[in-house]
Amino acid sequence: MLGSGRKLPRVRRIVGIVLAVLLIGGVVAAVAAGRDNGDKGTATKTVRAVIGSEKAEFFGDPDVVKALAAKGYTVRAETSGSWAMEGLDLKGYDLAFPSSQAPADELAAKYKARQPLPVPFYSPLVVVAHRGAAEVLAANGLAALEKHRGTLKMAAYLDAAAEDRTWQQLKGSEKYGELTGTLYLASTDPESSNSGALYLAAASYVAAGGKVAASDADVDRTAPLMRKLVTVQGAQQSSTDATFRDFVSGAGNPLVLVYESQVAALLAEQKGVDDLVVLYPDTTANSDHTVVPLTDEGRSLGELLSTDPELRELAVRHGFRPQGSTAEFTRATAAHADYLNQKLTGIRQAPVPTSEVLHDMARRARG
Amino acid sequence: MRRVPILVLALLALLTACSGQEKREDPAAPEAGTLRVLASSELGDMTPVLDRIEKDTGIKVRPTYMGTLDAVDLLAEGTADERYDALWLASNDYLRLRPDAARKVVSETPVMSSPVAIGVKASTVLELGWQPENVTWARVERAVRDGKLTYGMTDPARSNSGFATLVSVASALSGAQSALTDADVTKATPRLKEFFQGQRLTSGSSGWLATAYQRRGTVDALLNYESVLKGIPGLTVIRPRDGVVTADYPLSSLAATGAATREDVRRLTEALRSEPVQRLITDRTHRRPVVASVAPATGLDTTRRRELPFPGSRSVADGLLDSYENDLRRPSRTVYVLDTSGSMKGDRLARLKSALADLTGDFRDREEVTLMPFGSEVKSVRTHVVDPADPKSGLAAIRADTNALTANGDTAIYTSLEKAYDHLGTDRDTFTSIVLMTDGENTAGAEAKDFDAFYAGLGTDRRHIPVFPILFGDSDRSELEHIADLTGGRLFDARQGSLDGAFEEIRGYQ
Repeated sequence: MLGSGRKLPRVRRIVGIVLAVLLIGGVVAAVAAGRDNGDKGTATKTVRAVIGSEKAEFFGDPDVVKALAAKGYTVRAETSGSWAMEGLDLKGYDLAFPSSQAPADELAAKYKARQPLPVPFYSPLVVVAHRGAAEVLAANGLAALEKHRGTLKMAAYLDAAAEDRTWQQLKGSEKYGELTGTLYLASTDPESSNSGALYLAAASYVAAGGKVAASDADVDRTAPLMRKLVTVQGAQQSSTDATFRDFVSGAGNPLVLVYESQVAALLAEQKGVDDLVVLYPDTTANSDHTVVPLTDEGRSLGELLSTDPELRELAVRHGFRPQGSTAEFTRATAAHADYLNQKLTGIRQAPVPTSEVLHDMARRARG
Repeated sequence: MRRVPILVLALLALLTACSGQEKREDPAAPEAGTLRVLASSELGDMTPVLDRIEKDTGIKVRPTYMGTLDAVDLLAEGTADERYDALWLASNDYLRLRPDAARKVVSETPVMSSPVAIGVKASTVLELGWQPENVTWARVERAVRDGKLTYGMTDPARSNSGFATLVSVASALSGAQSALTDADVTKATPRLKEFFQGQRLTSGSSGWLATAYQRRGTVDALLNYESVLKGIPGLTVIRPRDGVVTADYPLSSLAATGAATREDVRRLTEALRSEPVQRLITDRTHRRPVVASVAPATGLDTTRRRELPFPGSRSVADGLLDSYENDLRRPSRTVYVLDTSGSMKGDRLARLKSALADLTGDFRDREEVTLMPFGSEVKSVRTHVVDPADPKSGLAAIRADTNALTANGDTAIYTSLEKAYDHLGTDRDTFTSIVLMTDGENTAGAEAKDFDAFYAGLGTDRRHIPVFPILFGDSDRSELEHIADLTGGRLFDARQGSLDGAFEEIRGYQ
């Protein structure tokens, strides 16, 4: 319907020629720029990485840069949605660093990266809310609260979603003008972004009574509900960074699905959002930040991130939970134990379906 | 359903650049250290911020302003590849509905935000007895229905602020509890029609909207982003209680660019998100910061509003735009005063004919179009209406008249303009305007001073009819600028771009 009409054919021919010329120029320019970008005789190796947006601040942190340089690395990181990495040409990159196992496995297969893949750190999905919204949920049996954190009861929430329950139907909501419309968790687009897909993984697991989807028939069974969770949201953001920024800037939805790491990093900087409440879904999914080595350098960097005590410490400062031990995270977030469920007490991990099943689920949910 | 017409201006600029008719420097040529950014026009107010970033980082931003829909088309067509290094729209919501365009974006980072709001004259707020914190869209609607409130807004097909406003109003008035559906839009149509009866000003850009509002003096309110409204003196800025759509200005890097370019985009993003720059942004542009450590500028109310979901499918978004243009809004009524003097003979007349023929794909249902070709005097006056029941026959008639144009005679600009004003009564409820296309100076009939006197003698209603002159061929810039200023219009330059492009751009103001 929105084709640009009869004008285009003749224009296209000319544009084609122009583009061909520009493209040749562009390739040359890119090669020249690439050379410029290379290391200039310093002792460090330059490693090129494509990473999920939630790790951009980690790699941009001067202390991280210094710690990596001390080990002989300069990392040039570019961000991309975890699922969108499949669509990028990764030639010339040393590693991809998506925020979950499923896209990592897919990339590993595509680029023939050797398993097992290093998983330096992880972070569970949580819901950020302002106090008013959290209290209304608690008063209506959808959440349990203590101080600045709580638990979101997923089964009750999914029931409410299935019935199209609105905020107006929840008692106590009339005190808050912004709490109107259908009750939903705002997530990212599950087709392009990891957290949106993990949301469906956790929700479908709960909806199926604790069974991870493994077949078409499984996807069929929960598809109508998954579709509802997604379509009520309308256009979705394509990165968790964006949904979190919207929340921070005061725009937006009362319940926003983000990574715990984003909240922990914000708290670590002593930059609280006023009356913030962190709700941990009682069944959630972890984002396993998984390195897909594309070169030997990429693999060494992945291993270094997993094992180097200083880099693990820095990962914690950015809110991530280093793989293998909870002590570092618990110690570093002691001051924010009111907000964070440090030991994930009472929180169940939903297993994540294979990437093929998850893709299918996401596609049908957006449909 | 007819599409909302979108013309890719830059594409045409490219075409003209290639055709050798107007040789000039290509403004889109790449340049080291400079990021060519395809941007929403409201970002013009970011100049001081970008100047500072250039000083701090050495990264220079060269913006090309374009409406969201045009920009998304450009991306989808692949025409933006190699011509732009980054994309910076008010929002990527519409972009995401177009997978062919969304694929061109590698990463996006929101850098500031501003919600849709209504800016109301302080005196009107008093008259209406409004308490700003309690105003809902339904109350705005009631005030319009009671004849107590008129407003201006930008054209949703050409400006992001107009699009976001349309979605806000449609979501709120349809009573939709979640993202809009086709059924919601259909259900809300009668109320929306009533609401848009109150629209007295339309514009292709926020800047001209503000100017026209101040000049007109009789319009009570403007619908636009909070940041734009805060910059206009005398307005009480209200975020309706029942919800708004918020722009979050994501700076987006593009897949077709090289790694070095994307690194520059990343550095620019980082600079924009640094604390001092976030503070500068909110203080200078009235937008809201996206970092927790910087508070919104004084005067930006921080009470919360529901975020109305943006439609999640292209059919809903396009359907809403389509019904706005062809059904909901007041129709437009335009006289095209077209120079067909002797100097137009040959290539120029051919270009005029082809531009007009292309434009017929763009006229809306219910639109009244009058063609008034002139030489030494007005040669003919032919009026056609695009009948919603049979849009094709009106459009075919316009094309037939266009084809029959011939070039001869002198150039009687002012006499012809006077005739256009005479033709346009003010008896009808339309957006009324005059387009003047000429390739030369006035050589016959009334003089400039005669026209000034004629205009001064018109009644108030007719003085509200703006003339949009188009610079073409050897026309006299100062002469045409004077006409635009006198009548509250705006000058369009077809010598820089193309004639098609100028006609198309004016559509946003009709």
